[in-house]
Amino acid sequence: MSVGSQPPQTNRIADEVVVITHEDVDRAHDRVRVSAARAQSGFFSGARLLWLLVGPGVLVMLGENDGPSMLSYAATGAKFGIGFFIPFVALTFCMAIVVQEMTVRLGAATHRGHAELIFDRFGPFWGWFSMIDLGIGNFLTLITEFIAIRAGLGFFGVPPWIAILIALVILYAALMSHRYWTWERITLAAAAFNLVFIPVALMTHPSWHAVSHSLITWQPLPGLNKDTLLIVLADIGATVTPWMLFFQQSATVDKGLTTKDIRFGRIDTVLGAALATAAAVATILATAPLFAHQMTADNFQAAEFAQALEPIIGRFGASLFALGMVEAGIVASITISTSSAYAFGEVTHKPHSLNLPMGQGKSFYSVLTLCAAAAAAIVLIPGLPLVYVVLLVNVVAVLAMPPALVFLFMLVNDREIMGDLVSPIWANVLSTGVVFILTAAGVLFGISVIAPNIFAALGGK
Amino acid sequence: MENKTRIAGSSSDLSSSDQSWVLSSLEHDQLARAKKHFIPRRHLKGPELVVLWALRVYLLFMMAVVCYQVWTAAR
Repeated sequence: MSVGSQPPQTNRIADEVVVITHEDVDRAHDRVRVSAARAQSGFFSGARLLWLLVGPGVLVMLGENDGPSMLSYAATGAKFGIGFFIPFVALTFCMAIVVQEMTVRLGAATHRGHAELIFDRFGPFWGWFSMIDLGIGNFLTLITEFIAIRAGLGFFGVPPWIAILIALVILYAALMSHRYWTWERITLAAAAFNLVFIPVALMTHPSWHAVSHSLITWQPLPGLNKDTLLIVLADIGATVTPWMLFFQQSATVDKGLTTKDIRFGRIDTVLGAALATAAAVATILATAPLFAHQMTADNFQAAEFAQALEPIIGRFGASLFALGMVEAGIVASITISTSSAYAFGEVTHKPHSLNLPMGQGKSFYSVLTLCAAAAAAIVLIPGLPLVYVVLLVNVVAVLAMPPALVFLFMLVNDREIMGDLVSPIWANVLSTGVVFILTAAGVLFGISVIAPNIFAALGGK
Repeated sequence: MENKTRIAGSSSDLSSSDQSWVLSSLEHDQLARAKKHFIPRRHLKGPELVVLWALRVYLLFMMAVVCYQVWTAAR
């Protein structure tokens, strides 16, 4: 049956009627360019192939360097300075690579999104559980993205409603192409601005001796207490969260990656993680002078971090910091609302692709825009407790991660759908380790809340 | 003369050579229509169900902890 009133374009392959849609034609154009680049040899054709195939990995990693994440890194630098958290953040991105690589393989092997596979393979009972986790997590995170945008533009005196409007216009402008490739390139260009935290860090003239010492020794260690655990969990939640699994797998499918492209999918993921680590570490370095000056970070919002840094790095540096927060919020609001729309389309079996024209993708684009608009509206409510909410959103993301990872683990080891692309033993050992680390971090956090005296007995505060 | 029909849900035309081009460029299960087919259900084994339920209980318990922390911080 065709979509709409026009007669469908059909063809018969292996006794099965195939209907060609607009989405298929767009994806075929992308695949033809990849095939042409692959057919040639030499450095430039290799570079062109990389250019054509990067996208989901870089977007998911830089997208996860979102408003709450950058705020967590800023709070980390301001509260603990240069030390344990710099290598720790690098480790969390290594965990993200392990997890996200599985979604690349899963998407390329099955051409199905993550939500769709969970529903089809494990049934709606478990499918709805994972969708509820994703839906709640995504919506809370979206709210915090708009908090970051509002706070970042607030540094320049932009009123909150105009700041939110600007963000929504950019989000909708990226969608207007109705073409995955164009959307991806626009969002990648915006995501590249995440690296603005690197020049900001350089402006603070960090002690490279202290940085290298911390990378080698993980010292100085922070005290073991509730505040430290909150930051530890917030920093983990700043790198591995459920929406990333759903987004990268769906984007891999929408981009049309096949099993031949898995190597480039891995490069894409590692490249994204490297860029995101650089931006995250730079943010910690940028706010480390606040720790050295004994300034408290307890009530800092995005704009207030920029204001606090202004005497140290000047108006230009502080403006870059605030703009970085705005970028982090905008890119993440695009990717997170897209992951919600993909998941909704997958479980309802409605068309779900950024290649869809508006007429064919009404439900997809409606979910995407409504999620973003609803979260944006909530941010305009006056008197929201911002920083605490932002840190807790990352904590909630970490807590929701183990169940999501177990589904991923089971799918990627399912030989019926993965064939020979099931995870090798080393990948299973690493991913099991990630599940244990996340669960242990969550349990420690729980103990620190319910029985804080235990930490005092262990020498913490 | 080449036979032309419309792309599903669109006013654009697609010639028969273009149809072949699209179909040869994509793997069969990459086509949007192929995604209408459900992947066969897999029955979960006992240990898998135990792990999934344990993690569900863990998540619910931890969410209660987060709510408790928010409540104590708000007081």
